[in-house]
Amino acid sequence: MTHSHNDTDTTPSRLSRAWHSDLAWKFRHSPIAMLSMSVTVLLVLSAIFAPLIAPHNPFDPGSLNLMNGFTPPLTPNAFTTDTFILGTDDQGRDIFSTILYGMRISLFVGFAAVSLGMIIGITLGLISGYFGGIVDAVIMRIADIQLTFPSILVAMLIFGVAKGFTPPQYRDEMAIWVLIIAIGLSDWVQFARVVRGATLVEKHKEYVQAARLIGRSATAIIFSHILRNVMSPVLVIATISLALAIIAEATLSFLGVGAPPTQPSLGTLIRIGQGFLFSGEWWILFFPAATLLMLALAVNLMGDWLRDALNPKLK
Amino acid sequence: MVSFLIRRVLQAGLVLLVVGLVAFSMFNFVGDPIDNMLGQERTQADIDRLRAQLGLDQPFVIQYWTFLTNAAEGNFGVSYRQGRPVSEIIAERAPATLELATVSALFAMSMGVILGIFTAIRRKGVLAHVIMSASLIGVSLPTFLIGILLIYLFSVELDWLPSFGRGEVTQVGAWSTGFLTSSGLKALVLPSITLGLFQMTLIMRLVRSEMLEVLRQDYIRFARARGLSERTINFRHALRNTLVPVITVTGLQLGSIIAFAIITETVFQWPGVGLLFINAVQFVDIPVMAAYLMLISVMFVTINLIVDILYVAIDPRLRT
Amino acid sequence: MRRIISATVVALLAAQPVSAETFRWAGKTDPQTMDPHAVNSAPVLGFLNNVYEGLMRRDQNMQIEGALATHWEPIGSEGWRFHLREGVTFQNGSPFTAADVLFSYKRATLPQSDVASWFASVADVKIIDDYTVEFHTVAPNPIFPDTITNFMIMDQEWTEANDAAVPAKDAENYATRHANGTGAFKVVDRQPDLKTVVEPFADWWDEATHNITRAEYTPIQNPATAVAALLSGEVDMINPVPTQDVARLSHNADVKVLEDIEARVIMFGFSNQADTLKYTDDAGEPNPFKDPRVRMAVNHAINVDAIVQTIMRGSAQPVSQLVSPAMRGYSEKLADRPAYDLDKARALLAEAGYADGFSFGLKCPNNRYINDEAVCQAAVGMLAQIGLDVELEAMPVSNYWGELRAGNFDMYMLGWSPGSFDAEHPIRFLVTTPDPEKKLGSWNFGGFSNDKIDALLPQIQSEIDDTKRQALLDDSVKILQDEAGYVPMYVQALLWGARENVDLVQRADNFFILRWVTVN
Repeated sequence: MTHSHNDTDTTPSRLSRAWHSDLAWKFRHSPIAMLSMSVTVLLVLSAIFAPLIAPHNPFDPGSLNLMNGFTPPLTPNAFTTDTFILGTDDQGRDIFSTILYGMRISLFVGFAAVSLGMIIGITLGLISGYFGGIVDAVIMRIADIQLTFPSILVAMLIFGVAKGFTPPQYRDEMAIWVLIIAIGLSDWVQFARVVRGATLVEKHKEYVQAARLIGRSATAIIFSHILRNVMSPVLVIATISLALAIIAEATLSFLGVGAPPTQPSLGTLIRIGQGFLFSGEWWILFFPAATLLMLALAVNLMGDWLRDALNPKLK
Repeated sequence: MVSFLIRRVLQAGLVLLVVGLVAFSMFNFVGDPIDNMLGQERTQADIDRLRAQLGLDQPFVIQYWTFLTNAAEGNFGVSYRQGRPVSEIIAERAPATLELATVSALFAMSMGVILGIFTAIRRKGVLAHVIMSASLIGVSLPTFLIGILLIYLFSVELDWLPSFGRGEVTQVGAWSTGFLTSSGLKALVLPSITLGLFQMTLIMRLVRSEMLEVLRQDYIRFARARGLSERTINFRHALRNTLVPVITVTGLQLGSIIAFAIITETVFQWPGVGLLFINAVQFVDIPVMAAYLMLISVMFVTINLIVDILYVAIDPRLRT
Repeated sequence: MRRIISATVVALLAAQPVSAETFRWAGKTDPQTMDPHAVNSAPVLGFLNNVYEGLMRRDQNMQIEGALATHWEPIGSEGWRFHLREGVTFQNGSPFTAADVLFSYKRATLPQSDVASWFASVADVKIIDDYTVEFHTVAPNPIFPDTITNFMIMDQEWTEANDAAVPAKDAENYATRHANGTGAFKVVDRQPDLKTVVEPFADWWDEATHNITRAEYTPIQNPATAVAALLSGEVDMINPVPTQDVARLSHNADVKVLEDIEARVIMFGFSNQADTLKYTDDAGEPNPFKDPRVRMAVNHAINVDAIVQTIMRGSAQPVSQLVSPAMRGYSEKLADRPAYDLDKARALLAEAGYADGFSFGLKCPNNRYINDEAVCQAAVGMLAQIGLDVELEAMPVSNYWGELRAGNFDMYMLGWSPGSFDAEHPIRFLVTTPDPEKKLGSWNFGGFSNDKIDALLPQIQSEIDDTKRQALLDDSVKILQDEAGYVPMYVQALLWGARENVDLVQRADNFFILRWVTVN
């Protein structure tokens, strides 16, 4: 096998500059990448600036009028004559505003959970794969235990435990962190398994042996050499994981463990909306689901492209 | 190899012990079974009596020990909700889940590998792009919503497929199967797709990405230069080398299919262990929850073991 | 060969009509057991009313009529005498006599039974002859027959022969999955959580008015799936229909929706006795809910009409007291809810010293009552209008009762359906000062306590004269309303869906009685 891994003798700044300009060039030549990037950026920005964009604040219960409930999009409400661009839900909340605010929560939960899962997973995967032996066995058995517990169960456990330890006044904020930890924890195994698998293969390759021969430390080898070369499968998983984390939040909500209904995430909105699928109030489900679909699709497509673009072997 | 196996089996036992411990400590938080077992006219005396009867007044360590010693004999106790031995209930429900999981896994694997190869070979084709994008829709919506949308479309609007249950099942010994009747087979379609869609997409993307990578490798270029046909190169050389990560992920996914069956079974009222588990959670049926978790652990540990063995078998470099 | 084929054809033809007329219905939960004394819950008692019978039964309007007893009368003030129906047989063929009643009474009052509380006032049961039996009570009990309509009679011989003389709670016995009643239907196949199949009992004593030859019950948990199953014709009847789907289903030519008012009143309760608030930033501050004016302010701030109109889509009925108008002892005189009046609510808060409002925690279940979580959410918005900052925590019912019992709330939601269909029931369970010894106030989580009501309860329980009894009940309702001990909001609706070709009767206790079903 003849692999050329001479990246190491270029200085990091030159490398990153070249890398980035190369990436930019590819980006400009991929319509899918540009489109999905713009959609993602647009959605993320509108989530960040929700308080400035949204016509209402759906998280302020005092501002809601129940009589506005179930107003169809762009149709004046029969009692209050208020009009809402995407209609209202059962509580009289403006769907458009609720989506913007809900997306903030979903994105925050998604990014935080995936970051958590990735950090834990990659670290443990690298250690496990590189060192092998007893370390590997212990980590992989922990992974087995982790996999045994469906994320719903992990969420419930953490929820219950956290409830016992959180002072009552912080319970609201707690729900979000519980979701992040629960989803992040059920995520890390995937990263760890794949990183470990790839590390097992990589560590026998010549460049690692060579690095070891010239006396580089284990940490240096792991992080500078192996990590870079196992990033491709990690990206595949991270891509799906981000979208998946947002979706997992929705699923947990369906099973009764999710963001509080007074501060709904996109997933909670879909869970609430699915109850109105047969009743004709299609907008309560459709708009949040379409937003989630758009967000997840854009992130996934971008990840796809990024993976191809970052992969040096696909030049 | 033998010492490897022995080591792994010992480790598996340890895993099960820890799972039992974690599961048991969890039960203190999921609710109080007594509330569900007694009607609205219960008194405190009734509550105390039942608690003592179930051994719930015992310290945690003793409860765990009792559970372990009984479980070691294959006795998982009696369901609080149904009053029947848990092992009996699970044996009754397992076929439904296993059949659903098998069909889903087969669907996910066959479609995933086929579409993965296709989209890798025809990387720049329009159809490949369409498949890649369309497949993402399946993983961009939560499972329960996909299930409900499928029901809405195929059961309510088109009236083609049943919306719930297993249809007519045939009893073959202790095993109840839906494979032998047309209504049983029809009932499998929607839940299997719902359950398998996510795994299919994952496998497809993985196969594609591994294929692309392998197709760029030197020995493939060399094979091409040697004048081997594209078909031979694609299937004999490229596919085989993509298999290591695919097997890892597929193996892991098999387990999560069973875990995710919880949601699919709830949406489709599929009478498997997942639905049993959700019912148990709602009722705080501790013996059923404990047995389910132990069962799933045994399965995961077994799957992981098999994956590891296959790993070693396929990639000789891993034989240390 | 030909003979075999024709035999098969005959068998097939013979089998055809049976399966063709199977009536299928679905509910949210499976009846946990087939034992009529083991679990006191609506799904169990509702289902078993088709299989077992009591001394009395309720007709389509909830009025009591004779079942296994033909008539009954009070024995002075010491109890009640029941005259049993002759010539009745159980589904296994054995005859029904007074011995079975005594046996069932003994079985139902065992510690393992979940229905023993029905007989709290009974001192003794005496067999007078084979078809006469007397229930002696410790004090006069005017409504005793009303309270035992769900007391189902089992066959002594069958139950003892099958080793099921003690109801099984944490284990199984023969009666858990088998049934032998005197009712119109017999259980032919019982697969817990999957399906339960019944067929008409040919030797039933009463005349069958249904045309069912076989009926199959399946639990379907997800409401949307149940609606889909009804729309696609896979089931003939579902209970419940989600409130939001009522309008849509009513417009569908193939299905119809039946609607009635249920016995369950949905209310908010308060932490009446705690010294401090437990939740939010004001945790540890003095508890404002000890002041009746604050509770009354909440009462005036909740717009029940708006909740009923939007969230419940008109499928609920505002209520002023802890029982619905359909219950015995309902106070007609006190039927008006406090008006929705934000100014008055703010004034009351100011008077109590909370002009700037305060913040507190509200606990709600999210899978127990119809739209429970949405109603609580709406209440949060409404209370925000008078300056109350409410933190809502909604949770599955499996955790909920534990939280309430531990007193983890400042305000909470509760639904109450009186098992006896009488106004005395909620007073005993929700309003009297909690006293485990006397089995009083066992669901009074907030510890509401009023000496006058405590004194009224025993009088209500033993008053035989209906007018005087009603006056006593009215008094207690008046006190509770003035004190705003609870905020009763509305009575839930019963919403059933059925295929267009099915005629059935919806009874206010939400029991689905198969013998009133006709499939056209």
